[in-house]
Amino acid sequence: MGTVALTSLLLAGCASKDEPENPGTPPRVRIITTQQYLNTVANVFGSSVNMDMKFPPLRRTDGLLSNGAALAGVTAGKIETFQRAASSIAAQVVSPERRNYLIPCTPADEKKADAECATQFFAQTGRLLHRQKLSDEQLNKYVTEANQAADQLKDFYAGVELTLESMLISPDVLFIVETSDEKPNKQGTRKLDAYSLASRLSFFLWNAGPDDMVLTAAEKGELDSERGMQKVVDAMLASPRLEDGMRAFFDDMLGFDDFDALSKDPTVYPFFTGATAADAREQTMRTIVDHLIHKQEDYRELYTTRDTFMSPALAPLYQIPASRGWTEYTFPEDSPRQGLLTQVSFVALRAHPGRSSPTLRGRALRERILCQVVPPPPPNVDFGKLNNPDAHYKTQRERVAVHLEDPACAGCHKITDPMGLALESFDGAGRFRTAENGATIDTNGELDGVHFTDVVGLGKALHDNPALPSCLVDRLYSYGSGGAAKPSDRPLLKYYTAEFQKAGYKLPDVLRTIVMSDAFQHVTDAKKVSTSEGRAPTEEIVIEETLPMVPPTTTVDTAAPATPVQTTAALTGLDKN
Amino acid sequence: MKSNAVRTMSIAGSLLAASVTVALGTASAQPAPLQEGGGALKDRRIGYVLTHKYWAVYETEGAKTECPQGFNDGPREQFKKLFDDGKKRSIVDAQLKREGEQWHPTTAPESFVFKEAQGNVSYGLNLDGKIGPEDFTSPEGEKGIDNQLYRVIGCIGHYRTMGTINHFENLFMRSYDDARIVIELTEVDDLKNDDSVVVTTYRGSDGLLQDATGEGFIPGGTQRVDLRWGKEYVSKLKGKIVDGVLITEAADRVMLPWGVTFGTSGYHVFRGFELKLKLDPEAAEGLMAGFVDVKAFNHHLNTSWSTHHHSYGQLSSPSQYKAMMRLADGYPDPKTGQNTAISSAVKVKFTQVYVQQPEQKELVSKQ
Repeated sequence: MGTVALTSLLLAGCASKDEPENPGTPPRVRIITTQQYLNTVANVFGSSVNMDMKFPPLRRTDGLLSNGAALAGVTAGKIETFQRAASSIAAQVVSPERRNYLIPCTPADEKKADAECATQFFAQTGRLLHRQKLSDEQLNKYVTEANQAADQLKDFYAGVELTLESMLISPDVLFIVETSDEKPNKQGTRKLDAYSLASRLSFFLWNAGPDDMVLTAAEKGELDSERGMQKVVDAMLASPRLEDGMRAFFDDMLGFDDFDALSKDPTVYPFFTGATAADAREQTMRTIVDHLIHKQEDYRELYTTRDTFMSPALAPLYQIPASRGWTEYTFPEDSPRQGLLTQVSFVALRAHPGRSSPTLRGRALRERILCQVVPPPPPNVDFGKLNNPDAHYKTQRERVAVHLEDPACAGCHKITDPMGLALESFDGAGRFRTAENGATIDTNGELDGVHFTDVVGLGKALHDNPALPSCLVDRLYSYGSGGAAKPSDRPLLKYYTAEFQKAGYKLPDVLRTIVMSDAFQHVTDAKKVSTSEGRAPTEEIVIEETLPMVPPTTTVDTAAPATPVQTTAALTGLDKN
Repeated sequence: MKSNAVRTMSIAGSLLAASVTVALGTASAQPAPLQEGGGALKDRRIGYVLTHKYWAVYETEGAKTECPQGFNDGPREQFKKLFDDGKKRSIVDAQLKREGEQWHPTTAPESFVFKEAQGNVSYGLNLDGKIGPEDFTSPEGEKGIDNQLYRVIGCIGHYRTMGTINHFENLFMRSYDDARIVIELTEVDDLKNDDSVVVTTYRGSDGLLQDATGEGFIPGGTQRVDLRWGKEYVSKLKGKIVDGVLITEAADRVMLPWGVTFGTSGYHVFRGFELKLKLDPEAAEGLMAGFVDVKAFNHHLNTSWSTHHHSYGQLSSPSQYKAMMRLADGYPDPKTGQNTAISSAVKVKFTQVYVQQPEQKELVSKQ
C-alpha cells in the first residue's frame, strides 16, 4: 500500500476538522440489557455456558429500546431475575467439566480456601465483568468472601461459585456507568475516561463489554490518542463481534422486539407459524449483516436489494423451493421482493393478525426507517366506520379511504397510507398477492412527492429519500451514546450524514466517523432536572387501534457527572408502544 | 404492430405517426407485472409429500354394519383363553410358545373365531379390472372393488379410527424424516385434465411443515430425494388426469418406506400398485392400492410393533396371518397355486412440495 493511500486511510477515521462543536452527551448510567449480558458472559466464559434467561424488557424511548436502558429502575423482582441468571452461570463455571479451563489455576486443596488461586481468578474475571481493572480493595473483598465461603463449606469451588454469583449481580456489572476525566477542556466538556470510553465503544459496536484487547488499550492510554483510538476502532470494526453489535442495533431500530408478541390468526394464515416468524426476523438480520458488513455495500440499497437468505420454513411463503438450512438467495428481476420492506419480517410484523394494514406499514416506515413521528389520532376519533365488519370493502385501499373522509383523520393518514398502500401486494402474513376478495389490488402510491406504481417503485423512492441515511445516523448516534439526540445535535448529525454520503453510505465508515468524533468521546455536565420540569412525553400510538394510556410514571435517569460522583435527573414519560 | 402502423401513415400524418410511435414505445416499455413463485406446477412438474396414511377401513357408526359380532381378540384375551385353565405351565410352554407363533405363523386352524368385516361396501380400487363375487362396492357406488385386507382388519381395533396403528403410524411418519413418501407428477400440461402424465415415487428426506393450526400441513415445502436407500424406492407409473383426478395404470412392483420410529427401516411392497388421487395445486387426496405380500406384511407388523403394542389394539398377529392367507386373492405361488398376496387399499393425503433431485456426481471412472 502506498504512503498516500495509507495516510488517507489513517486520516479517514480521525476526528475531522469539519466536525461542528458539540458538548457531547451527558454521562449516563445504563442498565445492561439481556443480550449485552449474555454476549459479555459468553465472551468471558465461552459459549458452552448455557444461559436461557431474559431480563425484564426496557421501555422504548425516542425510537430505541436502548435509550430506555438509561431510564431503568431495578425492583426486587428484577434483582431476582438477575440473581437466577448469575446463580446458573456461576454454577456452570465451577462445574467439574468446566473448571479446568475456566479457572486459570488449581487449588492446593479443593476442600480448603486458596487465596492465591482465588486472587488469580477474580482479578482476571473481575476485570472483564467490571469492564475495568479491580481496585485492590475490590479484589480483596471478593477474595475474602471466596475464602470465607470455602472455609465454611469446605470446598474451594463452592466459595468461588458463591462469590462469582455475587459479582455477576453487583451494580458494577449490571450498570454501565460513564465517568470522565477531571478537567474540562476549553469548550467546557470533558473526555470520557478510558474505561468509560472503552465500554461505550464496546457496547455500541459489539453489544458486549470490552474484551482484553480493548481494556488493555484503555489501560495503556491508547484511547487517549487519535492514533491509538484508530487502531482499536479498526480492530473492533474488523472483529466478528461487530455482527453481534449491529444485529442488536438493527433489531432495536426496526422494532423487532415486536416479534416477541407477534401472532397471526391461524385460521386466516395457517401457513404462518412460529418458525416462520423466527426465520423472518433472522432473514432480515442476515440480509442486513451480509449487505452492510460482509459486502460493505450502500446502506440505501438495502431497500432495493434482491439478495437475501432463505430457509426451509420461509420458502413456502415466498413460493420457492429451499435447500436445507440457511442459504443465499437472489430473487428474480420481476420479483416483488426487492428490499427490506418487501421481506416477510416487515409486511407481516406491520399488519393485523388477520389482515394487512397500509396504515401500520406506512407508520412503521415513517417512524422506524425515516425517524419521523406520526401524530396520534385525536382523542374523540370514531373508529366505528373503519372497524365496521361490513364486507363491502373489498380491498384495504377501500377500507382505509374512510380515513380520508374525515378531515381529522386525513391529515395523518395522508402521511402513512399512500406508501403503505403500495405494500398491499402482500397480505397480512407477507404472502404476495395481486387481488383481494376478487378485486385487483391497486398498488399506486406516493412518498414525499415521489409517485410509484408498486413496491419496487416504493423501494426506489425510499432509496432516494434524504431522510433514509440521516435517520440511520440519528439512530446510530443515539444508540451509541445512550440517549436521543437533541435539537442542538442537528449540526453534528448533519456532519455525520455528510461523511456517510462521502463514504458511499457504507456502515463501517459511518460507525468509524461517529466513534472517532469528539462528540462521541466527550460528555457534558449532567443537568439536574426536577420532576416538574420533566420533558413532554414522546407519544406514539397506533392509528387503527387505540392503546390504553399509561399514566405518567416517574423514572430516574441516572446520569453521572463529569466526576465519578453521580447526580440524578427525574423524567416523566409515557410508554410509547 | 408498430411497423404496420407506421406504414399506413401518410406523409401528411407523419407528425401524428411519430406521436403514435412514441406512445406505442412507451407502452411497450411498461415493466412486466410483478410475480412470485409461478405456482406449484413448474416445468410441467408438481410434487406431493405424504402426510396421512390409513389402511382403508370402511367404518359405520358403532361398527354395527361391518362388525355386528364385535371386534377380534388380541394377545391378552387369547392368552387368557389358552392358558387360564389352572394348569401349571412353564414359560416356554406358554408365553414363549405364543410369541413363537407370531414369528412362525401357520395356516393351521385355531380355536379362536376370527371376525371378518361384513357387508359389501369398502374403500379401494378395482385392481383386477373385474367384478367378482368377493368384490366390494365403493361408498360412491363403484363395483369390483378389491380390498380383501379390509375383510381381515376391519374388525381389529388397531386399524380403526383411534386405533394404535392408525394413530402411531401417522405420528411417527410425520415425526421422522427417514420414511418420507414423495410422489412427483411430470409431463403435466394441465392439472385438471391431461391424458398422459408420469408419476414417480421417491423416498424423501426432509421434515413436514406443520401449519399454525397444528392440524394441517403447509404446501410449498421442499423434499430432497433420498437415494441412499437405493433405487428400489423409485418407481414410475403411467397415468392420466380426468376432471382433476389422477388415475394411474398398475405398476408391477412399488416399494414404499413404512418405518415407524426413528431408525426402523420398515417398508411395504405393493404389487399391481395404483393411485387414484384428487389433485389440486396444494394437495392430493385419495387412495393408493395394490396387493401386499402376506408374509412380508406380517413380518413388518411384528418387527415394527411389539406384542404389547398389538395388545393395545387387540391385534393377534398369528390370527391375522391365518385370515390373510385364507383371504389372499393375488399373486399365486407358481408351485402350490396358493395366493401369496392380498388386495389392499390405503387412504392417503399429500401436501404439495417441490421435489429436489440429488446432485448427479459423475463417477470418477467416467471422468
